[in-house]
Amino acid sequence: MTINKTRENETLTVTIEGRLDTTTAPQLEAELKSSLDDIKKLVFDIKDLEYISSAGLRVLLSAQKVMNKQGNMVVKGANESVMEIFEVTGFVDILNIE
Amino acid sequence: MRKIYGLTLGGLQQKIFNLVLISIILIIAVFIGAAYYQTAKLTKVVGDARNGQQAAIKQVSEETMHKVVDGSLTKVNALQAYIADDMFADVKSDVMTMQTLAAELFDNRDALAPYPVYPPDKANEGSISSQVLCESGVDYRNSEYLKVASHMAATLEAMYKNSGKLSNCYIGLADGTLLCVDEHAANKFDENGNIIPFPVRDRSWYKNAASSGKLYFSGIEEDTYTKKIGVTCAAPVYSNGQLVAVVGADIFLEAMSEYVNASTAEGGFICVVNNDGQIIFAPENNGIFEVETSDEAEDLRSSENKELADFVTAALNEKTGLCVVNAGDRICYMTGTPISSVGWAVISVVDKAVTEMSANQLLDEYDKINLEASGQYEQGKTQSLAFTMLILALVFITALYAAQKVAGRILEPVESMTKNIIHTAETGEYFEMKDLYKTGDEIEVLAEAFNDLSQKTKQYIEHITEITKEKERISTELDLARRIQADMLPNIYPPFPERPELDIYATMTPAKEVGGDFYDFFLIDDDHLGMVMADVSGKGVPAALFMMMSKILINDFAMQGASPAKVLEETNAVICRNNEEEMFVTVWFGVMEISTGKIKAANAGHEYPIIRKANGEFELFKDKHGFVIGGMEGIRYKEYDMQLEKGGTLFLYTDGVPEATDTHDNMFGTERLLKVLDKNKDTDSRELLTKIKLSVDEFVGDGDQFDDLTMLAITLL
Repeated sequence: MTINKTRENETLTVTIEGRLDTTTAPQLEAELKSSLDDIKKLVFDIKDLEYISSAGLRVLLSAQKVMNKQGNMVVKGANESVMEIFEVTGFVDILNIE
Repeated sequence: MRKIYGLTLGGLQQKIFNLVLISIILIIAVFIGAAYYQTAKLTKVVGDARNGQQAAIKQVSEETMHKVVDGSLTKVNALQAYIADDMFADVKSDVMTMQTLAAELFDNRDALAPYPVYPPDKANEGSISSQVLCESGVDYRNSEYLKVASHMAATLEAMYKNSGKLSNCYIGLADGTLLCVDEHAANKFDENGNIIPFPVRDRSWYKNAASSGKLYFSGIEEDTYTKKIGVTCAAPVYSNGQLVAVVGADIFLEAMSEYVNASTAEGGFICVVNNDGQIIFAPENNGIFEVETSDEAEDLRSSENKELADFVTAALNEKTGLCVVNAGDRICYMTGTPISSVGWAVISVVDKAVTEMSANQLLDEYDKINLEASGQYEQGKTQSLAFTMLILALVFITALYAAQKVAGRILEPVESMTKNIIHTAETGEYFEMKDLYKTGDEIEVLAEAFNDLSQKTKQYIEHITEITKEKERISTELDLARRIQADMLPNIYPPFPERPELDIYATMTPAKEVGGDFYDFFLIDDDHLGMVMADVSGKGVPAALFMMMSKILINDFAMQGASPAKVLEETNAVICRNNEEEMFVTVWFGVMEISTGKIKAANAGHEYPIIRKANGEFELFKDKHGFVIGGMEGIRYKEYDMQLEKGGTLFLYTDGVPEATDTHDNMFGTERLLKVLDKNKDTDSRELLTKIKLSVDEFVGDGDQFDDLTMLAITLL
């Protein structure tokens, strides 16, 4: 998994490539923990994300909860299989998916 | 490593040894090179000095000899010329006296009475006597001139006597008579005892003196009577303007000839050149000059040898000083002085080689001494070289021996340490610190480091042993936890022996020791069966604990008779209240009315259930999904109905099944799952799950099992 972060003023764009599963989720969690201060808008660009497991979903949910308090969060570019997971798990109702 | 004579081959000792060896060889090579260079230089200096000295000696010697020869030869030559000149001057003086006297007598002839003179008398042989001779046909007794000339008899006799050099002296008269004085009266007679006529006026001396009118020296001539070589000096006598007589004297040149011949001693000689440039006296076999008395003799002034010609020309005119003349194959010192009275010259000759002989002898001697010295020097050099080589060899051997010993001593602790370390490594004992290692250098530091390392290693081993023990304990505990977890899930089959229409089977294979998945089924009452399939986010002990809580909550609420949606909502509410870790769980929960097969269910973010109608195919049941439990408070879930026909099967699973991944990152997928299910639709629940597990394992191959693998199948019989 590769994580790229781009900050523009109060907008942080996080690009995730590869698999976000039990082994890689803690890495993303650590990355986010250190960079969400002062962020008004968090964008997850996941067009190259191949797979997301429940551990990955948990990180997204945590981020969503943080952003609910200080701004908003957008997830964009989800591919078909990832989208299916969002649907199955009901995350489509919670996340702001574009 | 092999040892030879205490030297460890291939070890550090040999390397140090090699280093010392190379250093020594280099030093010796430089030393030998320098020694050879110095020796060669010294030899060259000695040689050059010898050559220089020889050249100097030769030059000095030559200069000295030149000076000596110049001094002696030139002086002697001048003296010889002077003596010769003196001799001729005496004769000349005698002849001039005679001339004067004769002229006086003739001028006063009238006053003179005749004086008795006679022809030669044999009895006078050997003593001085005056004798009268005349031309044939002339009678001396009638001669008027003789009457005058007879008065000179006593004078001539006295002159002859006093001179000692004259062979005779005479006065030839114009009337054909002659008065002469000598000691050889007998010579004037022929074999018959008659007096031999004397052709006075035909003699060359008479004719030459008469024609020249002055004093005249003849060339070398043979004496008429004695046949000895000599020179004649003659002068005409005039009276009243008329030639009346010619006076003359002969001198023998035997003395000069002898003197010249005797001069070959000492490597040089003298010779005499006449006024025509011809050699008249020279020692025999002198190698340069040959005496030739004839008129055709070579005039040396026009010799082809220009040097010689110039020299002879000069010698006839003046003192030449010392000249070096190249005479054919020899180089000679020559000096010449004119004999002015006769116009001749005395030439002294010394072969230059002779003058250099002593110098050459000196040089030879010097060379001999030099060679001897050189020989001694060479011998000394050889001995010195041999001695030096011996010393070098000794130094070499000593140094090598010392190098081996020193290297050995340096390396003794290293070797001991190496053994010690190998022993430590093999046995695990402590590294043993020895006094041998306390060398005060890197070896001691190394030994201390090893000592430290060995102790630390021991500590690490102990530490690791402890950790391993701890891990073992944890592992044991986790194993226990897994068993407890497994025990929590229904695992006795058949679970409801009194309900033969229910063919239920479920399995859970955790990815780690304890998993986050769980299933559950339980009878709520006689006709209602609760079924749960859930998946906690995350793995391991936290997931297991979360799972325990979820299972118990769902079970509790279900047993209170709440509807599936209500059960999930209540569970969510309780979990969200204390979920600092933000974990969540997806849950499918359904309650089946056993008698009819009607199922009321709700889905909190879980996988679609798969259902098969009697005699039908397995199909995904795309139900309405709610959000996961624990994710957010106050979530509402929708409830829906399903119908499980008799002979139909409901298959519940977690995402571990469709998301099982092979080594190429391909997922098992629901398509493949459905196919395997269909393929085994006629088997019972246990067999069905076994087949699916096998298919998944086969698909994953060598890939890791990422997620828990949990399945539940229920067939209504």
